[in-house]
Amino acid sequence: MIRWDWIVDHLDDLLPRASQHLYLAAIAIVAGFIISFALAIVSIRRRRLYPPIIALSGILYTIPSLALFAALVPITGLSVLTAEVPLIIYTILIFVRNIVAGFDSVAADVLEAADGMGYRGLTRLWRVEVPLALPLIVAGVRLATVSTIGLVAVTGILGDRFGGLGFFMFEGYRRSFATEIFAGALSSVLLAVAVDVVLVTVQRRLTPWTRPPRLEQVQAAA
Amino acid sequence: MSDQPRRAAATVEFRHVTKRYDARAKGTPGAVNDLSLTVPAGKICVLVGPSGCGKTTSLKMVNRLIEPTSGQILIDGQDAAKRDLTDLRRSIGYVIQQVGLFPHQTIGENVGTVPRLLGWPKQRIRERSDELLGLVGLDPGRYRGRYPSQLSGGERQRVGVARALAADPPIMLMDEPFGAVDPIVRERLQNEFLRLQEELAKTILFVTHDIDEAIKMGDLVAVMQVGGVLAQFGSPAEILASPASEFVARFVGADRGLKRLSLSRVGDLVPDQVVTVSVGEEARVARDRAKADDFPYVLLVDGDRKPVGWVGDDRLPEAGTVGEELAIPMSPLLNRRTTLKDALSLLLDADVQVGIVVDRRGAVQGVVTVDTIAERMRETAGSSEFSRELVEVEA
Repeated sequence: MIRWDWIVDHLDDLLPRASQHLYLAAIAIVAGFIISFALAIVSIRRRRLYPPIIALSGILYTIPSLALFAALVPITGLSVLTAEVPLIIYTILIFVRNIVAGFDSVAADVLEAADGMGYRGLTRLWRVEVPLALPLIVAGVRLATVSTIGLVAVTGILGDRFGGLGFFMFEGYRRSFATEIFAGALSSVLLAVAVDVVLVTVQRRLTPWTRPPRLEQVQAAA
Repeated sequence: MSDQPRRAAATVEFRHVTKRYDARAKGTPGAVNDLSLTVPAGKICVLVGPSGCGKTTSLKMVNRLIEPTSGQILIDGQDAAKRDLTDLRRSIGYVIQQVGLFPHQTIGENVGTVPRLLGWPKQRIRERSDELLGLVGLDPGRYRGRYPSQLSGGERQRVGVARALAADPPIMLMDEPFGAVDPIVRERLQNEFLRLQEELAKTILFVTHDIDEAIKMGDLVAVMQVGGVLAQFGSPAEILASPASEFVARFVGADRGLKRLSLSRVGDLVPDQVVTVSVGEEARVARDRAKADDFPYVLLVDGDRKPVGWVGDDRLPEAGTVGEELAIPMSPLLNRRTTLKDALSLLLDADVQVGIVVDRRGAVQGVVTVDTIAERMRETAGSSEFSRELVEVEA
């Protein structure tokens, strides 16, 4: 069964692995977001390009992660890049779809009013479109984050220098020690949940207008 | 208003403006065909017509959301096409039917949009935005910190108007600004806006498909027909009295005589005189006065000459004084500002079909009957060759 005493004894080992896990995930999410944002903007401005962009990122998304890591090792060796490239690739489909959906959700009358008041180009993008697309963009970030945190564990296949909390799963598997596998999986899940809670809080802060009105305001308006 | 002098309203002139669309393209707005008209500074010009007549297209060519295929739009004599686009748009207030408030900004921030884009100092933007909220009837303290989703449709429309006025633009473009609210709210917003305009005197181009709204709001009305052709351009009274074509006659409706009633007010009539009797006056004197007049009633008034009610000549007592208890129910009270349409409607509904005209303090000035109103309409009627045709068509 699960040996809780082993888990308690090894809590100190968990922390550095958790921070490595976060680090590997963060690089993938940030890099994936930047690439996807550019692709999303291109998709919006040139609508014809959206279907092929989605099709390509969809195909990439279907490649099994283990196969992708294995295929990259001969090219990039056992480097951080080998770990990150697949992680980044898997975020793109999620990000592009959500960012485009976010921009599409901005009401036409709002954009017309913005144009009528002399908002143009980048100012309109940053001041009007991005803030209004934010709820769906953040939804994409949450989805991509949870999925990436899950995938980081798989990078443990590249050796003990990678994998974050996945290290415990691989080591537990090698040693046929269920408690260690369990500890690695559980901590990875907890990490994902914790990061998601942080992101929800950030979204609430960034999009105060999406919160339902307070009671006294509803009464005052009635 | 603000610390800088108010910018004067500007003249807007369309000169042979044409906008063509590719006939194969779907969902394009209405085309415009050789439109020429001049809106004098400080006037409201309503563009009205059925869908696809190009009224919205014409409006959007002023702030160049749509660029004309040919022709010019001159603002105070200057070609709009030669102005810097951003600059042009920030000097023109723009109000649309769906309002288009920014959902992510508070009401205060929404109203301050153009001043912010123009780089005003924060304090001044805040003052200006509070001032405008007050102007459109929204208490700044209650509304400035709210988000658009927390407001009713009518409140949002008011904010839309306030936002368009923020930088005190000489021109306002309004595209069915009151189209999305219910009729009661619409009527109130229209009245408030007209009152505001008396003060602001902006040059306003106003689009609607509703002829009643056009007649009510417009100093000038441009009736457009499908294909973007200007069918008639003139004052509401001119268009109702003498439609220039069968299309215009049909568009303004067979009831245009009734519509004309809403353009005149009781103040334009000469009220008939009426015999009045004060409460407490001696009955004998009152009887003599009543007999000298054909009308079978006298009007009982109080000490301030405010009407109390009608008393039949035959019900005046032989002796003693005239008391309030003799009065039978009142007729409608009208004042100088009552439109003839409302007056007529009140008269038709009343027991005694005589409207009592009172002044600001409520004192009797005279009476108005259906005949008085009909007389006035006959005097101001234009002759239109389309009037008879229309009746035949309808019959």
